[in-house]
Amino acid sequence: MLILFVKMSEERTDNLKNTDIMLITADTRNVEIDRNEMAQRLGTKRHFEDDLIRKCTQNLMNLIRYKCAYIRVPVDMQTEYVCDFGFMRVKSINLYKNLQGCREVFAMALTAGLAVDRELAKLRIVSQAEYFVTDAIASAAIDSFADYAVQKMKGNLRCCPRFSPGYGDFALHFQQPFLERLSAQALLGITLDQSFLMSPMKSITAIMGIKQ
Amino acid sequence: MSNITELIQQQRIFFDGGTGTVLQAMGLPAGQSPELWNLSHPDKIISLHNQYFDAGANIVKTNTFGVNREKFDQYRELIQAGIRCAKQAAQGRNNAFVAFDMGPTGKLLEPLGPLKFEDAVSIFADNIKVAAECGADLILIETMNDSYETKAAVLAAKENCDLPVFVTNVYDESGKLMTGASSAAMIAMLEGLKVDAVGMNCSLGPDKMLPIIDEFRQYASLPVIVNPNAGLPEVRDGKTVYTIDADAFSDYMVQLAERGATILGGCCGTTPAFIAETIRKTRSIPYTLPTRKDITCVSSYTHAVIIGDDPILIGERINPTGKPKLKEALRSGDLNYILNEGIRQTDAGCHILDVNVGLPEINETDMMIRCISALQAVTDLPLQIDSTKPDTLAAAMRIYNGKPLVNSVNGTAESMSHVLPLVQKYGGGLIALTIDENGIPDTADGRVAIAGNIIAQAETYGIPKKDIIVDPLALTISSNQSSAEVTLEAVRKIRELGVKTSLGISNISFGLPQRELITAAFYANALQTGLNCAIMNPFSAAMMNMYYAYRALHMLDNGCLDYIGYASAQTGSAITAKVPAAEENLHTAIVKGLKESAAAKAEELIRECSPLTVINDHIIPALNEIGTAFEEKKAYLPQLLMSADAASAAFEVVKQNIPAEQSDKSRAIVLATVKGDIHDIGKNIVKVLMESYGFTVYDLGRDVPPEVIRDCAVEHQCKLVGLSALMTTTVPAMADTIRLLNETDRSIKVIVGGAVLNREYAEMIGADHYGADAMDSVRYAEEFYRTI
Repeated sequence: MLILFVKMSEERTDNLKNTDIMLITADTRNVEIDRNEMAQRLGTKRHFEDDLIRKCTQNLMNLIRYKCAYIRVPVDMQTEYVCDFGFMRVKSINLYKNLQGCREVFAMALTAGLAVDRELAKLRIVSQAEYFVTDAIASAAIDSFADYAVQKMKGNLRCCPRFSPGYGDFALHFQQPFLERLSAQALLGITLDQSFLMSPMKSITAIMGIKQ
Repeated sequence: MSNITELIQQQRIFFDGGTGTVLQAMGLPAGQSPELWNLSHPDKIISLHNQYFDAGANIVKTNTFGVNREKFDQYRELIQAGIRCAKQAAQGRNNAFVAFDMGPTGKLLEPLGPLKFEDAVSIFADNIKVAAECGADLILIETMNDSYETKAAVLAAKENCDLPVFVTNVYDESGKLMTGASSAAMIAMLEGLKVDAVGMNCSLGPDKMLPIIDEFRQYASLPVIVNPNAGLPEVRDGKTVYTIDADAFSDYMVQLAERGATILGGCCGTTPAFIAETIRKTRSIPYTLPTRKDITCVSSYTHAVIIGDDPILIGERINPTGKPKLKEALRSGDLNYILNEGIRQTDAGCHILDVNVGLPEINETDMMIRCISALQAVTDLPLQIDSTKPDTLAAAMRIYNGKPLVNSVNGTAESMSHVLPLVQKYGGGLIALTIDENGIPDTADGRVAIAGNIIAQAETYGIPKKDIIVDPLALTISSNQSSAEVTLEAVRKIRELGVKTSLGISNISFGLPQRELITAAFYANALQTGLNCAIMNPFSAAMMNMYYAYRALHMLDNGCLDYIGYASAQTGSAITAKVPAAEENLHTAIVKGLKESAAAKAEELIRECSPLTVINDHIIPALNEIGTAFEEKKAYLPQLLMSADAASAAFEVVKQNIPAEQSDKSRAIVLATVKGDIHDIGKNIVKVLMESYGFTVYDLGRDVPPEVIRDCAVEHQCKLVGLSALMTTTVPAMADTIRLLNETDRSIKVIVGGAVLNREYAEMIGADHYGADAMDSVRYAEEFYRTI
């Protein structure tokens, strides 16, 4: 996979701009978890809370270490349904439509950290209820951190909704060049398995178009 | 030219700086692998190295960071070319060395990731073999943020070449690797593996490394490498700026050198100018090597446990001796029981867990490896690998993530010849039993003599005294009343040899009534005598009381805070135990999802009525009540799962009271997440609920091939199969599985479920039932077994 991507970028060295990777970290106290998202994942009504949910939330907040790395790069969309970010060239109708009218994008990777995976592995044995609830809250949490990080990186810019590998026809295998470009292993501790799924499990990659 | 390991003894030496940074300035496009330039632009790679040597660096890193057989088919050629370029630049220079640079594989190792430990070792070994053939001067394992992968790389280096091995890890602001290890833990493991220098690189700028270097100075006996980034960029007024330039960088490097860094260099963002400035400014700082630290410690993948004045508790519960339930779990391969014991002991306050899985009828080595690997996913405590078989010890020490405690060697020539080489190779704290060919001496002096002999033998293998913990053996006073006195005297005298001590405390009371009384009193005596480690039962209140009280009394518990925390918790539980829960019975306990209470109530009920009555008249109606509430949206999934947990706890109690021959395996279901899919939360929910309803569940896990599912159903003559899939891409695998099951036996019914499915889709792929949720699946299963 990597070789393929390297070859792809070798063909196009003309318009590449060397960008710097930026980091955003946040204390869990500063990232409010989206209650709707959480309720949806837990299968409860909005703002429902009980002792179990409170306990799992508190426990999780001690384990999460939010980190985000991102770059701001130009995107070339002259070929129909092809988005060329310099470090990867993606053929995807959905992504192409999502980025309509954009000449630049943010490419980001975010994680809640490996301690969450460890806790889930433990809870899976100790209590299925705590496992399920913690998993759901952690998913809502990383999503909320993505919203937080997006606010930080975009400032006053107008942006498209973020779009991740795996959405629609944006193939999951683009995780590989994506994460390499962001030095995600060294900076965030994110690695991929054979199916291009990420460790830590609660991690997100996404492209977000910057509107002109 | 001198040898690099000799040179470190004499002077401060310098690594080069960033590779990508300089190559990008030469035209390497962002996103392209720099290693390809070894073959396509060797002149530029040589120029890169020359610039660093000219700046004054002693060691250049070959441009091979990301090369391995998984990423590049031509990994050999890339390594050969990379080393060739570096050697060419080093030629004719004095004190100029070529480090073969090896970064991480890019995959996370098991148990949390997909890469097997031995596969990682093999990937690295292939690299090392090429590097050694090509004449690298040393191996640099760098930018590792996982201690386990670091160990795999070091083993590969040690097993495939004789070159010096330097290791640098990536620490974040908290001073830990992203997989959790502290610097003390990394140092413990790496010094045990006998690398030549340890340190940190990448990720953080030099300013952020200052607090971490202090930990290195405190724990490391080896030379310390510091190769920081040029800081991280920041956005200021909408512009991207690097806050640290060559001048600021080198100022920090001066501080790092003053605080104990022995080998200095740079990583991402640094250039020859950074290195030249660092060399210029550190020239006048006197050079000192780290002092030898006399610290006895073992480590896990997160932290080091120091064995010193503060007593260490080693949990003894994972040992089948006298524990029928654990024996049964080992025979049936039920890791969950063992993992639960591990988690419970961790929560009870142990520092280290003993792991002994020796049973004559099982393959001890296989089971030990499975247990160690699984335990290291659920507890962060260091483990004590406990076996009488050298093969088992060897296999477990190899795959252990950290520096283990090894239990044990004894004074026989045979034991020493088998065990000492293992500790020499893998590192580890070593429990040394004072027994030899003549048995256990009756006198303290006899035991001290054996300890002295083991210490001397260990030294010939390069195992220092600090890594030896002598166990002078506690023997029951019921057969020889002087045995406590002898053991305590031996502890006292062995301490004078300059080694630490350990005892299996509870042996002292074997054969006596109310054993805890004697055991705890003996423990207090042993602590008073200076005992360092106790292998003990952390669920014994008498022992834990003694432990906390001793620490409070001997100024080991600052402000008595640990004692107060412990004592308050005791009072708390005592109070709750005294106040009867309002009208609580098994039914309400399950509905409310109270696990402990449900188990306790089941215990009470089982004394009065038959197991079947408890299930049918109490557990199932309670589950039905919460299940109905869930279906009517009056209760939510978390509550349903809490109730299921509580019901399972009650069911567990009931099961123990059902004679094995009567256990009902007729109501069973095979559950699996289909091939290609790793999401199992939905399947697990179904499993919990099915079990709480008393079904036997054959859980095949996730990513399960159709044949495995069929074979399981056939083997257990199970006519009900539940399949789960969460990704659209794996629904075809679900269809394949159903087809195979239908071909095999038309009477097998298949329930399917998962986020991507609906009723129509389920029908289309030939499923017999669409499980809309876990409760729905249970209802179907109940109905299915009622009608057949």
